[in-house]
Amino acid sequence: MTDTDDLSPFKDRVFKRSLYFFFFLLFLLLILTVISLGSGHLSLSPGDIWQTVTGSGTEAHQLLLFQFRLPRIILAVLVGIGMATAGALFQGVTQNGLADPGIIGIHTGSGFFVVLFLYLVSLSQDQPPWWANIGLPFVAFVGGITAAILIYVLAWKEGVTPIRLVLVGIGINAGFSAAILLVQLRMSESDFNRAIIWLSGSIWNASWATVLRLLPWILLFVPLALYKARILSVMQLGEEMAVGLGTAVEKERIKLLIIGVALSAASVSVAGGVAFVGLVAPHLARRLVGGKFQRMIPVSAVIGAILIVLSDSIARTVLAPSEIPVGLIVSVIGAPYFIYLLITIKE
Amino acid sequence: MKKLVVSTLSLTLFLAACNGENTVDESENDTTEDTVTEENKETTDSESRVLTDGAGQDVDIPENPEAIIASYLEDYLLALDVIPAAQWSISDGEGVQYYLQDDLGDVPTIPYDLPYEAVMEFEPDFIMIRDQPEQDMIDQYNLIAPTYVLNASPTDWRETMREVGTVLDLEDESETVIEDYDARAQETASLVEEQADGESAAAIWMIDTSLFVVHPERSSGAVLYGDAGFEIPAVVDQLSDDADWAAVSLEEVAEMEVDHLFLISDDEESSLTEDRLWQNIPAVQNEAVYTFDSQSAWLYYGPIANEQVLDFIDGSLQ
Repeated sequence: MTDTDDLSPFKDRVFKRSLYFFFFLLFLLLILTVISLGSGHLSLSPGDIWQTVTGSGTEAHQLLLFQFRLPRIILAVLVGIGMATAGALFQGVTQNGLADPGIIGIHTGSGFFVVLFLYLVSLSQDQPPWWANIGLPFVAFVGGITAAILIYVLAWKEGVTPIRLVLVGIGINAGFSAAILLVQLRMSESDFNRAIIWLSGSIWNASWATVLRLLPWILLFVPLALYKARILSVMQLGEEMAVGLGTAVEKERIKLLIIGVALSAASVSVAGGVAFVGLVAPHLARRLVGGKFQRMIPVSAVIGAILIVLSDSIARTVLAPSEIPVGLIVSVIGAPYFIYLLITIKE
Repeated sequence: MKKLVVSTLSLTLFLAACNGENTVDESENDTTEDTVTEENKETTDSESRVLTDGAGQDVDIPENPEAIIASYLEDYLLALDVIPAAQWSISDGEGVQYYLQDDLGDVPTIPYDLPYEAVMEFEPDFIMIRDQPEQDMIDQYNLIAPTYVLNASPTDWRETMREVGTVLDLEDESETVIEDYDARAQETASLVEEQADGESAAAIWMIDTSLFVVHPERSSGAVLYGDAGFEIPAVVDQLSDDADWAAVSLEEVAEMEVDHLFLISDDEESSLTEDRLWQNIPAVQNEAVYTFDSQSAWLYYGPIANEQVLDFIDGSLQ
């Protein structure tokens, strides 16, 4: 996992290869996006899309494309970027290939706070205040941080071993799931159903409003993550070496975790509990471009986006017009990979 | 009764006022805009009314909407002779409201959670929903067609009926539906008085070995006790919390000592009915257990469902 050659990523041949992979994946994402735009319950031919994009399509097609499908695909891309980057950060900071915020309970922590928040808002007879929706990512963030602190405190035993962290995380995950259920049982039937769909991971009610809610978080924290990627790479050399190279390890670790929680929580607040993206995307990225985070994070972000766009296309076409929560599709892909990793990881 | 008369009167007055306004509008249009094309005239004619809905939004209600999506409100629409563009369904169109299929048989199905593209497919010009979804979703539906979220409580079918009537500009018709229903209920009430005066009844829903009893003021419970006039067993009164159908044990059912048992069950045989406790229920001993399948109207709300329940009661007593 740790290659000890020159730390500067911008000169070597591997860099060129990474760049090549990055653009190839970006191209793939673009193609998927176009296919996804055309697929769904109502059919749109490539010709229709072209006409609509150039402004000569019918009003119905414009509505379908620009108000329903486009925001949804953009949201899928953003959620994929957010969750994959968060996963890469978590795996890097904990030096643990299994540390996906979706598996170790960061997502459910966020989810619990969001569900609780929605429940409390629904208790008051008035209309929900205007800031209720904008506040969701913040509420999710507080929940994610709470879960992260809980996991770290409980897993701490003269340091945190990877397996211990995952086991405690899975426990925390179960605990928060139970707490969510407790809140849900107090909800009215319709709220309950909505919470279920939301928690299993769904972006079917995407709109430009949801996109705008998530976008600032991605625009702020993904560049931050990239900026910190070098430090993350240094940290992979081991704590002593990192300190020797002038890194304030504990401080940086906390900063990186906060960035990771922010990205995963903001994604969860709009898309619900989509697990495994934060696990699978960084792993695939590492396979393609190696373990250096300066290269690995961008590639893993694009892979995350591809994963969600692809899963969402499947989610809304297989049983159309009914929809499957996108989180289930991602899990179908991700769970076997997780088990495979559990089997192959030695320590 | 007095209240009803007064409200009907004020409603009629209100309607009359509205009509007056409309005619004024039309004549104005005619004089000032002689050159308007047929199309333009149509749009000015269908100038919409504005009502505040359950989500606190002012909704422009189109006049004479032709393609209405009002999922799970089909009962009320049909009572007003309005055929919706699509009907509620679950499991990919497999599960529908069977008790309405005489009227809804030809109406295509739409998934219960109203995915945007499924809604778009029907090109509705008006959408009515009951469950209050997130504002984001209402905004999206509004892009497709004006969307009205009902104010009325889902457990009060009369209130719902009136609101649906008001929204669709069919107030008089909705009052007629309620009056007709009350008149029809009176027939059953006299039958009950004649055949089972002072006797108690309960509607029990049996799923495998679980039992549920209807809330005395909701769904078919409101019909059974409020309209038909059966006595409410003490146990039912105590159980009634916030569910339409509350879970009960066999012991509690036995404790009810009901004279008439309306059993909603899809199983021919159940181990429960072999139980001594069950055998000792007065209704069982007097052969006053009437079985219906779970697709029948007992589990639903609305004037049509209720009327079918009245028919069931009549049929059972005769």
